[in-house]
Amino acid sequence: MALSPDFKSRVLASVKQAPAPTRRQALRARLWLFSCGIVGALALFFVKGGVRMTSRPPSFVALTAVGTAVVAGTGMWFLFTRGRSTLRRPRSLLLAAAILSSIGFVVWRTSIAHVYGLTSPWPTRIGYRCLAMSVGTGGLLLFAALMSWRRSDPVTPWATGAAFGAGAGLGSALLVDLWCPVSYLPHLLLGHVLPIAILAIAGALIGRSILGLRHRSAPGGRKSSARGETL
Amino acid sequence: MSQYGQGNDGAFEIVYEVVAPRLEGYLRRHVRETSRLEDIVQQTFENMHRARGSFIPGSQVLPWAFTIAKRLMIDTQRRTGHEVSRDLGEENDTVDAILIAARESGEEVVHAVETKAQLLAVFSRLPEMQQTVFEHVKIEGLPYAAVAAMLGITEDSVRMYTHRACKALRAVAGGEGRGTQND
Repeated sequence: MALSPDFKSRVLASVKQAPAPTRRQALRARLWLFSCGIVGALALFFVKGGVRMTSRPPSFVALTAVGTAVVAGTGMWFLFTRGRSTLRRPRSLLLAAAILSSIGFVVWRTSIAHVYGLTSPWPTRIGYRCLAMSVGTGGLLLFAALMSWRRSDPVTPWATGAAFGAGAGLGSALLVDLWCPVSYLPHLLLGHVLPIAILAIAGALIGRSILGLRHRSAPGGRKSSARGETL
Repeated sequence: MSQYGQGNDGAFEIVYEVVAPRLEGYLRRHVRETSRLEDIVQQTFENMHRARGSFIPGSQVLPWAFTIAKRLMIDTQRRTGHEVSRDLGEENDTVDAILIAARESGEEVVHAVETKAQLLAVFSRLPEMQQTVFEHVKIEGLPYAAVAAMLGITEDSVRMYTHRACKALRAVAGGEGRGTQND
């Protein structure tokens, strides 16, 4: 039994009634909102002191910043973009990108610090300030990403939100890397890597309700969002 | 869909003509009530319309549509309490007709019908993922890459699940249907 021509005209009519942004409009809005997030994160970074050299040699700061930029940039590209498919990259690939980028960042930072002999413990800098700074700057990036993609993911909003959160966490790691002079491993894990996980979880939870499309009520059902449970 | 995403509203009708019959065929195996099926198809198209700005030009539309429909189907199931079943029995009439046409004697018809029942029983006992992958690859005819993107798994995993499902079904069919294109 095929769908009736009457049904087709009903679908076409309902689609005509609902305004939907074109790709160009959507891209423009996303670019604008995401730029606002980047500006906000940079503003917070500079309000809190910006690049702090302290006793670090400039070459050390430059080397760690370049390495972190490459690692975090690659991870962010994987996590924020979708490749050639409208459906997002496989969840396993997103998870791998987030984990490998985090590990890559820590390995790079500690390796360079080891070469410069800057791995000594800092008992007074456990990592809470870096944690707050990372969550603050990354939170702004995450919020901008979620708002720029709101109500536009009909497939897996929670996974998209988690990917955005991890990507925002990597972006904040780049900023905080310029801000924080400590290269002691436990400090890096608490203040620089943990925020990536925190933001990924926050992204999944918030993305679940913000990114999903709301659809009209079905027969016998109430209005709800299209949530992305694993099938 | 690429043209529709870029603002050519007239292209939506073409998208509907291509996607609607495939969606209907897929959903009929899971949803018995026609009203609910139509509702899911309509919501799928509404969601595709509202998310048209996020459609990547050149990417495949069918896997996207199937994934949206599947999410909606499960969402509807949660709200209404109806169970979503994977019912290949919807294809029974077609399968019966093919089997009967292929056999000449009455004995062979009985054998064919029994084989079909065994195949359906074996299929229903397959793991969820194998059923899903088999359905998309063998029944819907979607490429491995598209199914992998839909389910968030790798192409190799899709091949593996398809192979396992085919192997289990072939064991019942006594080796019939060996050497299909996608396996």
